[in-house]
Amino acid sequence: MADVSLRGIRKSYGSVEVVHGVDLDIKSGEFVVFVGPSGCGKSTLLRMIAGLEPISGGDISIGGVRVNDVPSPKRGIAMVFQSYALYPHMTVYDNMAFGLKLAKTPKAEVDQRVRAAARILQIEDYLERMPKALSGGQRQRVAIGRAIVRDPKVFLFDEPLSNLDASLRAQTRIEIAKLHDTLDATMIYVTHDQVEAMTLADRIVVLNAGRIEQVGSPLELYSNPVNTFVAGFIASQRMNFVPVERAGDGLSLPGGKILTLAHDQLSNARTLGVRPEHLHLASPTAAHFTGTLTVIEQFGEYALAYVELPGGELITVKLDGAPDLKLHDTIHIGLPDHGVHLFDDKGRALH
Amino acid sequence: MKNQSNPWLTSNLFVLALGMLPAALLIGVLLYFTAWAFAFSFTDLALVGRKSVEWSWVGLQNFERLFTRKGFLDALWTTVIFVFFSAIVGQSVLGFLLAATLRGTRSGIRSVVEVCIMLGWLLPDIVAAFLWSATTSQTGLINALIVVPLGFPPINFINDYALPVVIVANVWKGTAWSYLLFSAALDSVSREVIEAAKVDGATPFQRIWLVMLPIIRPHIATNMLFITIWTFTYFPLIFAMTGGGPGRQTETLAVFLYNQSFARGNLGFGSAISVAMLAIVGVLSIFYLRLLREPK
Repeated sequence: MADVSLRGIRKSYGSVEVVHGVDLDIKSGEFVVFVGPSGCGKSTLLRMIAGLEPISGGDISIGGVRVNDVPSPKRGIAMVFQSYALYPHMTVYDNMAFGLKLAKTPKAEVDQRVRAAARILQIEDYLERMPKALSGGQRQRVAIGRAIVRDPKVFLFDEPLSNLDASLRAQTRIEIAKLHDTLDATMIYVTHDQVEAMTLADRIVVLNAGRIEQVGSPLELYSNPVNTFVAGFIASQRMNFVPVERAGDGLSLPGGKILTLAHDQLSNARTLGVRPEHLHLASPTAAHFTGTLTVIEQFGEYALAYVELPGGELITVKLDGAPDLKLHDTIHIGLPDHGVHLFDDKGRALH
Repeated sequence: MKNQSNPWLTSNLFVLALGMLPAALLIGVLLYFTAWAFAFSFTDLALVGRKSVEWSWVGLQNFERLFTRKGFLDALWTTVIFVFFSAIVGQSVLGFLLAATLRGTRSGIRSVVEVCIMLGWLLPDIVAAFLWSATTSQTGLINALIVVPLGFPPINFINDYALPVVIVANVWKGTAWSYLLFSAALDSVSREVIEAAKVDGATPFQRIWLVMLPIIRPHIATNMLFITIWTFTYFPLIFAMTGGGPGRQTETLAVFLYNQSFARGNLGFGSAISVAMLAIVGVLSIFYLRLLREPK
């Protein structure tokens, strides 16, 4: 267990800089998730922590020791790769024991540690099998087992679930959360899937184009996103954004209705954001938006209604249960009293 | 199982037979020549003279001569040395090292080296043989450029060190194949597996020896199979460079076979040599094919 600190980390390939100075402190035992769209630099950042990618600028410390020039195996890290990266010519046992054998660990200790890890992950029955005789989920466990055996200070996960099918992904997600609880280790986890980020993380680091947009607990990011990027990225259903303008004591909405609102920076507000689950159906007189239902997706426990406003904006409304709505119906939508986000012309949140 | 045969073909026996004709012809010719060599290895057939017409069966006499007379066993030994050093050690190891080193280097350097290696391969054997003879002779390039300027008397490499020169020439000529095969093989090794080994603490040597080589083991066996068979029966380069000489220093089985069959005209004995070569190559192939099998 150790804390990890990043100070002004930069990464360039030739003259192209892909990570532009990242500062981050990760506490010992914390589960931190790097999330962002592809190409945002999250994997590169993880690989720099792992020592697989040279750092172009800044300092990385693990457990208080600067590790910029320390080779991977000496950093006290273990990595779980997206493709699992098992050694195809070795049995599960040898896959897990490989690192320890290279470090000349006594045989009895290797055996004890491999079996202990196998017990945690319930792969004791497969120890003598070759990786290709295992299913995707089992391979994933072996890859995690290989990391556990090394008894690292920091676990690094590089999109470990993206090669699994949906149901196995959900199951493995829970197991990783349990594992974090059991091992009480520092874990850094990279994913592009915001559901994994929300469910696993103590803290989420949202990255975009090589910069940190926001760092915070999942609920903090959900309720107080600092900008439209974070607001749009976090949560299962994307936040609705509509253009607004100041009108007297409130904001004029698309469609001409006025939202009266007490806020000190009303004049700077350009965009209003509201999550689909915070919208509700309203009476024509109380409604803030009126539009036509273009698509409705019924999930049984809830439904997503996509409503097109007269100006062409599309608004998603999440409705409980199975609402009885017909396509092309006119829909009246009401805004909530709380849970409305305002953003300025640069997309920054106004508080 | 799904029937994948073409309905038009299966319904038309005539077309089917017509389509099979080239294959049947090819197999027939192959079998004919093998059977021919096998049959005549039991005769005293000669290329010219009385015995070219009135040959007779001599039983196992030709095969006895393989072991009782000088020639065959010496040629076999020369061939083993030639194959071992030029193919297995030279082409394979050099090809692998080049492939491993050039992997991940910038495309500029890689292209230059690749073109150089490929040139050797693409050059016709006879041209290559002439180049190597000219380069390594008493008045050749190596003497003119290196040996003499350093103050040593010129060395006639092709004469004094015939077998090593032929081996080096064949390494130069044949490394391209191994390089290409190993390049492709190494590309199939996932980058993440190598990185996992790095994180596990494997040194560069251990990464090659304990991870890369075992993963590409089937490719190594395939490569060995090919180049052993090719080199074992390789003829033009050696023959054009040395003709098997000086003396019999570079007389490999293929050259020995040629000399016996066509220079001396002993077609019966030559057939026996070729049957023996077939047997040796066959045994080697079985050995490599076993290597190809995946472990349980």
